[in-house]
Amino acid sequence: MMPPTVASSHSLRRRLLLSVMTAIVLAALFQAVTAYRGALRQADEMFDYHLQQMALSMRARMPQVPSQPSQSPQPSQSPQPPLPDRDEDSDIDYLVQIWGPDGIQLFRSSHSALPPRAVLGFSDVVQGGATYRVYSIQTPYQTIQIAQDMSARLSRARALALHAMLPMALIAPLLMLVIWAVIRQSLSPLERTRRQVASRTAEDLSPLADNGLPDEVRPLVQELNLLFDRMHTVLQAQKAFVANAAHELRTPLTALKLQAQALHRAPDDATRDVAIGRLNQGIERAIRMMNQLLALARQDGEQQAAPEPVDLGPLAQAVASEMQAQAQGRGIALNLAAQGTPAWVRGDAEALRILLRNLLENAIKYTPEGGRVLVDAHMAEGAARLVVEDSGPGIPEADRERVFERFYRSEEATATTGGSGLGLSIVKTIAAQHAATVRLDASPSLGGLRVTMVFEQPAQLSGEAASSSSMSP
Amino acid sequence: MRLLLVEDDLMIGETLLDVLRAESFAVDWVKDGVMADTALQSEHYDLVLLDLGLPKRDGLEVLRALRARKDVTPVLVATARDAVAERIAGLDAGADDYVVKPYDIDELLARIRALVRRSLGRADPVVEYQGLRLNPVTREATRDVHNDGQVRTESISLSAREWAVLETLIARPGVVFSRAQIEEKLYSWKDDVSSNAVEVYIHGLRKKLGAELIQNVRGLGYVMPKPEVMPKP
Repeated sequence: MMPPTVASSHSLRRRLLLSVMTAIVLAALFQAVTAYRGALRQADEMFDYHLQQMALSMRARMPQVPSQPSQSPQPSQSPQPPLPDRDEDSDIDYLVQIWGPDGIQLFRSSHSALPPRAVLGFSDVVQGGATYRVYSIQTPYQTIQIAQDMSARLSRARALALHAMLPMALIAPLLMLVIWAVIRQSLSPLERTRRQVASRTAEDLSPLADNGLPDEVRPLVQELNLLFDRMHTVLQAQKAFVANAAHELRTPLTALKLQAQALHRAPDDATRDVAIGRLNQGIERAIRMMNQLLALARQDGEQQAAPEPVDLGPLAQAVASEMQAQAQGRGIALNLAAQGTPAWVRGDAEALRILLRNLLENAIKYTPEGGRVLVDAHMAEGAARLVVEDSGPGIPEADRERVFERFYRSEEATATTGGSGLGLSIVKTIAAQHAATVRLDASPSLGGLRVTMVFEQPAQLSGEAASSSSMSP
Repeated sequence: MRLLLVEDDLMIGETLLDVLRAESFAVDWVKDGVMADTALQSEHYDLVLLDLGLPKRDGLEVLRALRARKDVTPVLVATARDAVAERIAGLDAGADDYVVKPYDIDELLARIRALVRRSLGRADPVVEYQGLRLNPVTREATRDVHNDGQVRTESISLSAREWAVLETLIARPGVVFSRAQIEEKLYSWKDDVSSNAVEVYIHGLRKKLGAELIQNVRGLGYVMPKPEVMPKP
């Protein structure tokens, strides 16, 4: 699995949480700021309205003497003290001053310093370190001014604004909590799967449980399970192969050990010579076995070389001449059928050479002395064919599938040759790489085994092949 | 000692055959399970050296069939299957002992000797009979010679076949072995048996060990008498 440092920066949950939380915080902030400012403005308007209304109502209550302008100072002697007093008691925020038409102050609600007369209508006045909101109206008989301490007004407005922000301030954390829980809940199957994978040993390739997984993740887990399954198959095959290989190596090694010990025990020269001969044979066999294992491992594991056009005819000729000595050693006539049209296939020349060598080795090994082996490469029905037949005992129909199994040896093979049991496995592997089919049957002409390989590739490469360097032994 | 070698690998088989023959075992070699079955049903062996991975019939099946016939012939299993479960299966199927390939030839021979000894009900590897001692490990025969009250140990040189005859008779004192029974211990299928070969070896043994040691029971065969019955020298 991924190292935690990498995983954390790609954590879906973290990302989701981060973005959703940020969105919530931003939205809440925006709402709060808007609400605050809106509340402030509304409060401002409301207070102004109050000021205005208060001034107007005061004007209505003041004595008006429109007919006696000379008496205008008189009303000041008979003000209604209780009214401003009440005002002062009930709401110290408001400061009221009233002047007569001649500018004489008729009423003053507070002892504190009050802003002087200002412009009519609304204005802001700074007086004695405090800011006042002032509203003045003028009637023919008096001028009424009502002032309100801004700091008090502001604090009230703020209180109102803060109150407007409160729901959002409460909802935002709650929302975050809920979303955190939802995300956590939604991603918990992923976490469960993660734990399941994390706690596995390298050997454990059993499928992961995909129940309860969201639709977005289930296909991934299902694909993983399919991959696990394939890996399991491959791993099992590898394990079986290694176990088999180790087991199969025991036999040649046992033979070597016995042969060496027999040599050690040999009482005379003649026995010793026999023992040395056998020891050499044993070593040869062990080497052959190793080579076969190596060839198989290579064909199994490596990516094949880039396919190139190969003419099977010259390849067969090259391998047949390599094997000639071995064939003659057993008195076997190894022949190549007359070459007709080139039999082009696309593939790995070296692998095909190994394939041919194995087929010929088998044919020579199982054919009794004095027998015949025939190799033929030709085109038939648009496909290249490679045929190797011999005059040996053949393979009974029941065994024809099994001979391709690794380390399988027919009874005859075991009793007479001591082969590795890998030859035909190698043939099969290489054939599969070249999309070729291998068929075993009885040779009509020679009576023994006939191996027919059909390379199913389209033969459209004969043109391009003509320019290639082809095979050289 | 007659031994059946069941081994499908040619190289192992021919090497073992030579080594065992040099140790004066009469060895028959078969290369598959069916042949092993046939051989075990038709002949009597003192020991079977059995490979398990056999063509045609698995070694374990051969072994089970043998035990099912109430045949107690000692079986030494020699195989490349070394998993503990395999060994247990082999022993449970009736094997007496187990060697894993690749084994040491001296160890194999020692195990063969031990199994033969046990099948004869002996604990001591050295066989003793009236002052005559056979050591199967060194293949040395010695005899105590009484001379003027002193005891001197004298070594006796025996041919492989003479050894085999003596080993057969000395293993069961008092039991009369027919000529055919003795021949069976001496020869494997491939050996040519001349008609009077056993008489020749008996004659040789009597010459080396004294005429009274091996007695001829007319019409029946040969016997080395039980020590109590034998007159004091």
